[in-house]
Amino acid sequence: MVLPLALLVVALCVVLAGWAGWFVARDRAVVLRQLWGGAVVEAVLVVQAFVAGVVALTGDHDVDPALFWGYVVTQLVVLPIAAAWAFAERTRWSSVVLLVAALTVGFLEYRLLQIWGVV
Amino acid sequence: MSVTHVEQGTRPTGSGPGRLLVAVYGVLALAATARGIYQVATKLSDAPVAYLLSLFAGIVYVVATFALATDRRRVAWPAVLVEMVGVLTVGTLSVVDLGEFPDETVWSGFGAGYGYVPLVLPFLGVWWLWRTGRPSAEPAVPTDGGADDEAHEPPSTLG
Repeated sequence: MVLPLALLVVALCVVLAGWAGWFVARDRAVVLRQLWGGAVVEAVLVVQAFVAGVVALTGDHDVDPALFWGYVVTQLVVLPIAAAWAFAERTRWSSVVLLVAALTVGFLEYRLLQIWGVV
Repeated sequence: MSVTHVEQGTRPTGSGPGRLLVAVYGVLALAATARGIYQVATKLSDAPVAYLLSLFAGIVYVVATFALATDRRRVAWPAVLVEMVGVLTVGTLSVVDLGEFPDETVWSGFGAGYGYVPLVLPFLGVWWLWRTGRPSAEPAVPTDGGADDEAHEPPSTLG
């Protein structure tokens, strides 16, 4: 785990959640630009998973691998599911789901930092 | 997708506000099942009752998520009710008798470790199943009179 990357993930999730929350308040469905925003978050998550893998293989961190990678994989699947939903549900409820998804990814990032022993 | 709602005059459980319910159930299903598998696989002998219960709770959440998403009411009802009984029973037992259920399952302390979401969710689920289950002339997603029309996207396209 690299702290700046983790903080970037959390910040992006907060921005995406705020954007989705604003759409909920305006009674709008998710728009494509938000999904590109989600794709940016997902890209950072993939980079982070790769970096974490390299650090875990080379360093001697005392981290339970099953627990850590369970969270990494979970975190990676959340936003794609919300994105698929955005196509199926063309009401404000897709924005609610994107809001929940972004908050979930942000919370999982916090748990990852806990498991890694940073916070 | 099931078409039972067309035949019975009920509304689908997985669209509109139901999406939120399915999404939160899905997150909980992931969290509880992953935790249950991890606990059973790595330290089952420490507290077999709690860990097997953890895994069972996770599986029930998976079933509830799937049933609500695909509008399978006959599966969703028992799954949601099992959760309600589970969180109330295990929650009470974990408060009264700490020895039986160490603080290791999603239902312990009425779901305190998960922000009490496991306690609230079955009640929301029952309410949603009841509400969508009644034959109704009103649409599943009520429109709000067009007071803020400029804020509405065309509902059928993404972009």
